[in-house]
Amino acid sequence: MNHKLLSAAAMAVLAGAPAANAQTVVDLWHVFNLETDMMQIGVAAFNESHQDVQIEQRVVPFAQLREELIRAVAVGDVPDLVVIDNPVLASFAAQGALEPIGDMVAASEVIDPEAYFAGPWSTVVFDGEVYGVPRASNTLALYFNADLFREAGLDPNNPPQTWSELLAAAEALTNADTSVFGIAFSAIQSEESTFQWLPFLYQAGGSLEDLRSPEAAAALQLWVDLVQNGYASRDVINMRQYEGTNTLIAGNAAMAISGPWELPRIAAEAAFDWEVALLPVRDDVGIRASALGGFNWAIPAGAEDAEAAFQVIEYMSTQDTLQYAWGTGRIPSRRDVSIPQPELPLAYLVFAEQMESATARGPHPEWPAISRAIQTAIQQALTGTASVEDALAQAADAIEPILAEQPL
Amino acid sequence: MTLMTAHAGRRRWRRFIDGRVPMIVLIAVPVAYLALFVGFPIVYNLVMSFQDVNLGNIATWSRPFVGLDNYERLVDDPIFPLVLRNSIIFLVGNVVLQFTLGLGLALLFTLRFPAAAYLRGLVLAGWMLPPLVIGALWKWMLASEFGVVNEVGRQLGLMGETVYWLSDPALSLIAVTIANVWFGLPFNMILLSAGLAGIPKDIYEAAALDGARPVQSFRYITLPLLKPTIFAVIALSTIYTMRAFDLLWAMTRGGPVDSSNVFPLWSYILSFQLFEFGPGAAVATMMFVVVFAVALVYVRSIRHEAQA
Repeated sequence: MNHKLLSAAAMAVLAGAPAANAQTVVDLWHVFNLETDMMQIGVAAFNESHQDVQIEQRVVPFAQLREELIRAVAVGDVPDLVVIDNPVLASFAAQGALEPIGDMVAASEVIDPEAYFAGPWSTVVFDGEVYGVPRASNTLALYFNADLFREAGLDPNNPPQTWSELLAAAEALTNADTSVFGIAFSAIQSEESTFQWLPFLYQAGGSLEDLRSPEAAAALQLWVDLVQNGYASRDVINMRQYEGTNTLIAGNAAMAISGPWELPRIAAEAAFDWEVALLPVRDDVGIRASALGGFNWAIPAGAEDAEAAFQVIEYMSTQDTLQYAWGTGRIPSRRDVSIPQPELPLAYLVFAEQMESATARGPHPEWPAISRAIQTAIQQALTGTASVEDALAQAADAIEPILAEQPL
Repeated sequence: MTLMTAHAGRRRWRRFIDGRVPMIVLIAVPVAYLALFVGFPIVYNLVMSFQDVNLGNIATWSRPFVGLDNYERLVDDPIFPLVLRNSIIFLVGNVVLQFTLGLGLALLFTLRFPAAAYLRGLVLAGWMLPPLVIGALWKWMLASEFGVVNEVGRQLGLMGETVYWLSDPALSLIAVTIANVWFGLPFNMILLSAGLAGIPKDIYEAAALDGARPVQSFRYITLPLLKPTIFAVIALSTIYTMRAFDLLWAMTRGGPVDSSNVFPLWSYILSFQLFEFGPGAAVATMMFVVVFAVALVYVRSIRHEAQA
């Protein structure tokens, strides 16, 4: 509040100053509220080192960012710069809500598409035009409670490598007397469950184009087995990823599928010996796979000063800023950026390795509809309202016409 | 002569000021307010429900009209019957339970017992919390293995097996209804309490002298005299229930498998998650028509009472 008043006062003074000191303000909307996040660090550093351009940030809760941006577009009063969850960038771009920035990227000395990992970069391109720049990436891995592993007679140095080992470990770790489930994941009716299930679909050798395949059925069956055997709570159907991680931290789940953004919280709150492992692979298939998460920078169409906004993107995409990515469990989307002395080095190694097999969701302008069909299939199968095959066939019925019109 | 005219002129001016101008101003201000803040959004939403809207044209007026396409798309959606059914059950369940329990509590608090006033205040606390918080609390309390509701049920021997309140598609709608009844109950109770307080005590005394038993007093005095309040309470709780969103969103997001999905959630999902602004607006329009009809009945009933 004080900050706001101060900056408002500063603005008033500046407004009264001669036009020579005119300052461009870049209105930035994002979701990163932790002070240790590279966003906060970057914004402070940018404002300190720039006289002519200043960033005014507005932190919006993760769940409301898309809604706020849609509202801003609807009333025609958009911020100059936003971050967008990478699977929905294509939807915004396809509807003309984002400024194409291909020319600026081509002319940029900082942003070189070749320097980015292919997965994250693919999420900013739509129809051959560039609409954004990846900020940082994340992916999913397997957290586990090493103490509970030892109590169950399992070796924490040898976490489950395959699906069958995962099932066996989950069974061994499940203990009704001590209220411990083997594993927690998120199967809620939202993008989060799609994000969590896709790794298994890819590990099985399946694809979104062919959900009627036995591979897709095997991937969904694995989740059904975990829930119906009681190795995971039936409440996973209503759990957000955050809540799944809560049950791990509370000691009510021995394993949890979650992302590196939870590391600061787990490191601070988990009162046990915890570790992270790569997601298991399917027996006899051996495909490493995970899903790619993360936010992209984008400039809404109609932003007052796209050039200044792009200047901010460039500043935030340098080694100087990106080296702080891991502070809140984010991995730079650039190959040529390194994290000096990462905290939690073992977890960093796991997530960095898992990132190599992380597949982008989409990009597709109809991704939300595709995702919703998958969510419904997951929920139908887990609640037993439809068999795995029927649930996936219904999802395929919804997805196939969308992909026929525009393939992934 | 001039004095007379001036006088008459002033008087005419006076009469004008006293009569028409304030009246016009007093009417114009609320009409302008209503037109701007109520009428415009309604018309805007109505127009949008007949258009093909996307983010590219949403801020412009050049949005193609598509007739009833958006409405057809809704009715053809496989989940439409489910959402309709859920919405009706949720509405009827809430209105009936909130009213009967609210009336029961209101009657209870007319009795003079120790700490009655404090307890009534305590009941109201539920209504003062934000629905999002209430939703989160109930989600927590109804958790299958670690929730307090199941734990208490087990301790009391009421539940043999774990009840999957929010993860069983057969129960999720019941669970969100219970939470929403808890939320809306205090509002019903307080309005009904006010209505009960307005019934003159001497009528009951006279009836008692004539030998009326409590049930008869209730049937022939309380209910008829409470009728206007009952009308208002039912109309208002219908409208509030049809708007319920935050609480459901926090508890289930409409799941599992849309088993607790109701129209406000569906409208939100269509507009803000699937970018289907036209169909989202069409859902909102359909809800508006129902709410408007209820409001009309309500307003007419008050006018009737005022004239009587």
